[in-house]
Amino acid sequence: MLTYDFMQRSLLAAALVGALCSVVGVFVVLRGLAFAGAGTAHAAFAGVALAYLMGWPPLALAILFGLATVWITGVIEEQGRMKLDVSIGILYTATMALAILFIGLMKGYNAEVYGYLFGSVLSVTPDELRVVLALSLLVLGMIVLFSKELYFIAFDQEMAEASGVPARRIFFLLLTLVALTVVISLKTVGAVLVFAMILIPASTAYQLTHSLTHLTLYAVVIGVLCAAGGVLLSSMWDVPSGPAIVLLATTVFFLAVLFSPKRLRRVHAASSPQP
Amino acid sequence: MGQGRQGILTHGSCDVVGIDRPIIRFDHATFGFPGVIALKEISLDIAEGEFIGVIGPNGSGKTTLCRAVLGLLRPLEGHLQIFDCACEELRCHHRARIGYLPQKGMIDRNFPVTVLEAVMMGRYGALGLFKRPSRRDREIALEALAHVGMEHHRDTALGHLSGGQQQRVFIARALAQQPQVLLLDEPTTGLDITTQHNVVELVQQLHRELGLTVLLITHDINMIRSRVDRLVLLKTRVFAAGPPQDVLKPEILREVYGKDVVITDRDMVIVEDYHHH
Repeated sequence: MLTYDFMQRSLLAAALVGALCSVVGVFVVLRGLAFAGAGTAHAAFAGVALAYLMGWPPLALAILFGLATVWITGVIEEQGRMKLDVSIGILYTATMALAILFIGLMKGYNAEVYGYLFGSVLSVTPDELRVVLALSLLVLGMIVLFSKELYFIAFDQEMAEASGVPARRIFFLLLTLVALTVVISLKTVGAVLVFAMILIPASTAYQLTHSLTHLTLYAVVIGVLCAAGGVLLSSMWDVPSGPAIVLLATTVFFLAVLFSPKRLRRVHAASSPQP
Repeated sequence: MGQGRQGILTHGSCDVVGIDRPIIRFDHATFGFPGVIALKEISLDIAEGEFIGVIGPNGSGKTTLCRAVLGLLRPLEGHLQIFDCACEELRCHHRARIGYLPQKGMIDRNFPVTVLEAVMMGRYGALGLFKRPSRRDREIALEALAHVGMEHHRDTALGHLSGGQQQRVFIARALAQQPQVLLLDEPTTGLDITTQHNVVELVQQLHRELGLTVLLITHDINMIRSRVDRLVLLKTRVFAAGPPQDVLKPEILREVYGKDVVITDRDMVIVEDYHHH
């Protein structure tokens, strides 16, 4: 099975997306941007739908829609005029409505568009893989370059700014990286499930460690293994790849919760006799 | 604490501000948002090496003053000068010279970070973009931890520490910036009485040993009145400023807090209706 070209491409694409989503996910989880990312995924899908309707390049439109949504989210969060979950909820449903509208305007059923909704890593072409690789390297490079600032704003943005970190610019950089990650991952896990891949590995790692460095490392390992494992399961059992990846990651998450050293410590502390 | 430790934690260049000139100067500065004035026309000079206590009732503008000193707010009118810079021109490297301890509750204290990782963040602003923390930065962070007596907890998860220990770690994080100014926003809130004393004593000790300019914002007048050089009493403006004995007069406090205040040799008690006693 592993000797097939398409399988090697799929595994490589899944591993890249797994690594990328989990690293970005660490900052998303710590900075409390989970819902913003989910909104971005649906906005990017609306961009793909418009691209197929008009015959434009889907990747460019997905990036455009994703960035616009995530930046609007950022401005709203900064101004604090509206609760973030409310504003994102409005953007989320509005962009999803746009996507449904664009699909409705298409003549006939377009399977490729639905591929972006639910993911189809097994059909990744060599050209698509090259784009995923280039964008993944760009995003990962930016994260490595600005990791200390990203960690600091995730910890406390105001404290970071007060300490001399250009926190506002770094926050918008993080939002941009989230949008790019979502777009890169659309083909692999799809708009519906991409955010699970961003949230679950980081949240799983969160159960296992108290150290930022270890958290990131564990998240990447979990993300890559779940993505590659999901592709193998999908191929072996002939089930869709996106759900296979996400359900495998979810299983690992619940196992981590069950055997979390943090949870066991709390249980132990609660059951110990009080002095 | 030895001279070596003092040397590593204090800011290298103090040449920007002369001894005879204030390190922070508010000149008829008004802060707030359109339609809401939080601080009105305040004028205040803070000299290098001073220990200032900032007091006042809720909503008197204490946190606004704090945010202004951090360069996070610009005056609507008037001027604010920090390190010889107008606050509009304050750059990241200036901000890095102000060590800041935010109010308890503003930070997720269960954030997955070890004590040393949290303190190392104090180096990030001073380091600037694109630079990785070096061995020297790690040494500075460890020295800062030693200064607050937390060096043995460097690999402990921040969330596993008590409230007082976490405050010490955040003070160490501020020290790791090698600041000239230490700005503490209600550092004793939510701590038991012994821990409150320990934290304020630690701040006093750091002020003495490192020659830091300290701005301590608090509701706890008793805790700081014998330790600070000057008190600044806010009520949307600078209501009174000067040595504690000049500010903590019953008539001033009554006007600011709207209650009578009993002052004893050791403590002050705010009572509902003093005239009945």
